[in-house]
Amino acid sequence: MFGLKRGSAADLLVLLAVWAGLLLLFGQLSAGFLSPATLGSVANRIPALLLVATGMTLLMVTGGIDLSVGSLVGFCGTVVGVVMVDWGWTLPAAVACSIAVGLLLGSVSGLVSVKLRLPSFIVTLGMLEVARGLAFLAAHSRTKYIGDTIESLGTPIAGLVVSPAFLCALLAVALGQALLSYTVLGRQLVAVGANIEAARISGIAVDRPRIAAHALLGALTGVAAVFNCSRLGSADPNAGVGFELSVIAAVVVGGTSLLGGRGSVAKSFLGVLIVATLEAGLVQAGASEPLKRVVTGVVIVVAVLADTWRRRD
Amino acid sequence: MLRAEHLTKRFGSVTALADVSFDLRAGEIHALCGENGAGKSTLIKLLSGVHPHGSYQGRFELDGREANFASIRDAQAAGIAVIYQELSCIDEMSVAENLFLGRPTTRYGVFIDRGAAERRAAAALARFGVSLDPAAPMRSLGIGQKQLVEIIKALLRESRILILDEPTAALAEHEVEVLLAILRDLRASGIGLIYISHRLEELAKIADRVTVLRDGATVASMPIAAADPATLVRHMVGRDVAELYPTRTARRGPPLLQVRDLSVAAAGSGIRIEGVSFDLHAGEVLGIGGLMGAGRTELLSHLYGAWGRRSAGRVTLDGHRLDAGGPDSSLRAGLALVTEDRRRYGLCIEQSIGFNLSLSSLAQVSRCGVVSRRSEALRNDEWFSKLGVHATGLDAVVGRLSGGNQQKVVLGKALMTAPKVVMLDEPTRGIDVGAKMEIYALINTLTESGCAVLLVSSELPELIGVSDRILMLHDGRVTGTFSREQATPEVLMKAALGTAVVHTDAA
Amino acid sequence: MGTGMRAIVVGVTFGMLLTLVGCKPAAPSGPAADARPKVALIMKSLANDFFATMAEGAQQHQATHAADYELLVSGIKNETDIGEQVNLVEQAVAQGARAIIVAPADSKALVPALRRAQSQGVLIVNIDNRLDADVVRQAGLQAAFVGPDNRDGARRVGEALAAQLKAGDEVAIIEGVTTTFNGQQRRAGFEDAMKAAGASIVAIQSGEWEMDKANSVAANLLSSHPKLRALLCANDNMALGAAAAVAAAGKSKGVMVVGFDNIAAIKSLLADGRLVASADQHADRLAVEGIELALASLKSGQPGADRATPVDVVTR
Repeated sequence: MFGLKRGSAADLLVLLAVWAGLLLLFGQLSAGFLSPATLGSVANRIPALLLVATGMTLLMVTGGIDLSVGSLVGFCGTVVGVVMVDWGWTLPAAVACSIAVGLLLGSVSGLVSVKLRLPSFIVTLGMLEVARGLAFLAAHSRTKYIGDTIESLGTPIAGLVVSPAFLCALLAVALGQALLSYTVLGRQLVAVGANIEAARISGIAVDRPRIAAHALLGALTGVAAVFNCSRLGSADPNAGVGFELSVIAAVVVGGTSLLGGRGSVAKSFLGVLIVATLEAGLVQAGASEPLKRVVTGVVIVVAVLADTWRRRD
Repeated sequence: MLRAEHLTKRFGSVTALADVSFDLRAGEIHALCGENGAGKSTLIKLLSGVHPHGSYQGRFELDGREANFASIRDAQAAGIAVIYQELSCIDEMSVAENLFLGRPTTRYGVFIDRGAAERRAAAALARFGVSLDPAAPMRSLGIGQKQLVEIIKALLRESRILILDEPTAALAEHEVEVLLAILRDLRASGIGLIYISHRLEELAKIADRVTVLRDGATVASMPIAAADPATLVRHMVGRDVAELYPTRTARRGPPLLQVRDLSVAAAGSGIRIEGVSFDLHAGEVLGIGGLMGAGRTELLSHLYGAWGRRSAGRVTLDGHRLDAGGPDSSLRAGLALVTEDRRRYGLCIEQSIGFNLSLSSLAQVSRCGVVSRRSEALRNDEWFSKLGVHATGLDAVVGRLSGGNQQKVVLGKALMTAPKVVMLDEPTRGIDVGAKMEIYALINTLTESGCAVLLVSSELPELIGVSDRILMLHDGRVTGTFSREQATPEVLMKAALGTAVVHTDAA
Repeated sequence: MGTGMRAIVVGVTFGMLLTLVGCKPAAPSGPAADARPKVALIMKSLANDFFATMAEGAQQHQATHAADYELLVSGIKNETDIGEQVNLVEQAVAQGARAIIVAPADSKALVPALRRAQSQGVLIVNIDNRLDADVVRQAGLQAAFVGPDNRDGARRVGEALAAQLKAGDEVAIIEGVTTTFNGQQRRAGFEDAMKAAGASIVAIQSGEWEMDKANSVAANLLSSHPKLRALLCANDNMALGAAAAVAAAGKSKGVMVVGFDNIAAIKSLLADGRLVASADQHADRLAVEGIELALASLKSGQPGADRATPVDVVTR
């Protein structure tokens, strides 16, 4: 009863209600919205978001943040492209490379930020530029078309309706929540985020969980990059620009505190659903791009505001 | 010129001040004494408007007219200024900017006129005979100089009543002399000063009258001539060491923790520990006393591996070397610490009781990194009832508990690691009498089971009532070791003040 | 704040949002809508005047042919937000669009999404930026291309500039997003013209189609290459940014700038010579031609043939 405390079930219900509300609302606004095609498009959109949101939640629970995940999606994706197109390796090998690169860069961010005592905000802001630059270098500034092999990850499995990517993302969410609720590392993440001094005095080696959270997020971003490639069928060094903001928005809508000490992967999952549904719904309702951004921005702030109010009562 | 009558202030069920009356004449230095928690700071907070009029009973009179302060600003406007121990100057600014903080010298009401400000500052500094460069950055000043700047700042606001809260606690000997000389000048110019200090020898040098507070009440008020240190100490400590403290029944075993010639320094802190040695036996409570800044908390933190760099000395726990490697290795070695500042160092305040209780002993309730909910709940339940935490259950958020219950959770967290030596830093600060007694009983139970306890307390009666032996520290050095029988408040206070170094044979 | 107050704040906010979304510009609904085919126009950054013009052209066309089709217009935040453009394609399919007219932000990465749309029976017309031919063939996508020959257009803009250059003059190219086909084509066209004129290309850097980015790139080029005579920008947005950098460096007399697209914002710059030349690819016509091709194909059931649209060089 620690990751999912009392009242947490109520939080989940509130988020579910918001999601259902959005579905109904957009169903009213545009006729074709409540269709398998829409749900399919949402399901196809979210695996990458879900994976990274899971890792981001774990990191934000410790009070850290990673702004470089968008660039990392671009760079790891480029690695997939180079490995598969230029070197002709298989998909599993490419996935392994992508995860390795993500893990490496995530760990670097973590080590630099924790050991050199720099705010993770600053360190990953630097990494945002570094990884994007590496992406362009590795791809020679050209998109690489990969094709069917990788697209199959995003295509629904026959008879199952959902794609391997989606299943994998769900698995990550489940494992992420389990990690937070049932493991020693999960406890340490929360304790470090809630009160790092108290955690240190309680005998927790506080650097380790913080670095681990960065590394884990990096690895998950590596997987997300593969799914992003599968959606594009190609490796594009531009991929993932602005992705970090969508992820952070979803995590925050899910009620995770930017200050650390509080967060739930399950709620981030609903946050992702809400953000993705909002995106799809606004397009279908005919909202123009500027209007979409205004609405999305307001919804994020109001969602977080409502959450804070509920907590205070 | 200032008269306070029948002040009573309550915080919930705790009475911090009970019917205290006090007066200050112009051109007088009136000293205020008392143990920690005797009510001195509450009295100051009423005087300076921190606690607004209406939140307490009683009245103030200034120059014969009723004066009640609704805010700090009100009190300042009436000419009352407080120089706190924690200085409120801004290191990034210059001396001149600090002097005129909040009321900058401007040109056309918009532009800061640095030149004019510095000229005015230089004039002010000269008037008080202080030689400081007004353009110097505040950070380049020593603590004593900063304090002078604060005092001058207060005087520039036409303050007529200056309250100084332990102004010499952090000063070196020669700085103290400079400060006292300036205070005497101020007195001569007709300003009234309220002077709070633990250093009794200082009071004799500077004060005109002394008022002693104890448990929120005035116990004595007299001219300084009548107040020799022994009298003051008796008034301050006063009460009997009553049945608040349970009879000690534990048998003393072999030495568990041995500290030899320990010297510790830390960058950025004036406090250091020099040549401290002691033995702590199984089943024993060793009390550590001393004034604020004597190095008590630092000694505990260092042994635990959370503070300072050891320059000399050797520490062993149960025969094994203890190298202050860090809290995690200390806990593994069987040394636990309960810190003084619960909210900052003790608890994850937004988390549940259960989360906090098991935080230090997760390894014992988990397998392969996965926490066993069942064995965790079993242990948590056991300690929850053993400690008698008053809460709805293990799920209750710690931040909503009373101080006493929060303290029990911190204790439980430490004790769950099954330590051999427990170090308690002010374990009863800010908690009610009932909870205090429960914690004393717990200390007894612990020692009966063979644990050793190192207890830091600022309350002399508690130190005497709970400890088997008492070690007094002054300025990082041991100034006396006393058996329970030898320890009287007077003797301890002398050792704490460093006036006499006593080495009785209490080992 | 009381609970009632809070409920009101939340309620009012969402009410406002609903009203905003409700006031959508061009999405007529009602019984008549069902009969007409839906055509989705998916563009790149609407912050770029070129696409804004394109959208206006399409909306005017729809207004005069209101009975023939329903138009869905959308665009993305910035030129590199490919994920969002894929999302727009998917949403168009979900909305039941019969045809998608797309100006792809990436010549390769959009192909799979378009192919998925096609497999659901949606007709694809490619405008403006040509999809990569190899990838299109590999993926089995059928998409007619309606658009100008960018390389030829860029070459002719370059020639207009070359008339004022001597052999050996230093020039630099600010290209678009390097992963786009039209960007690559325009860069190649500029290079053709400069080589023919004997100018020396001292630098090629990307301004990512954006004014800001091009402005800082241009400023750096100007200081690192003091003898620079001309900046060739792959679109007018970037040319605006470059021209501002030139003015800021006080080199308006010595350094010439050319652009591409002939957006409204450059008219005055062309007039006073801060910009030497641009190419008009008739943005308003581009989308309309794509729509007309799509409507014809929907009617006939035949995929249309590629259609080249004109490019005119504009000078002062």
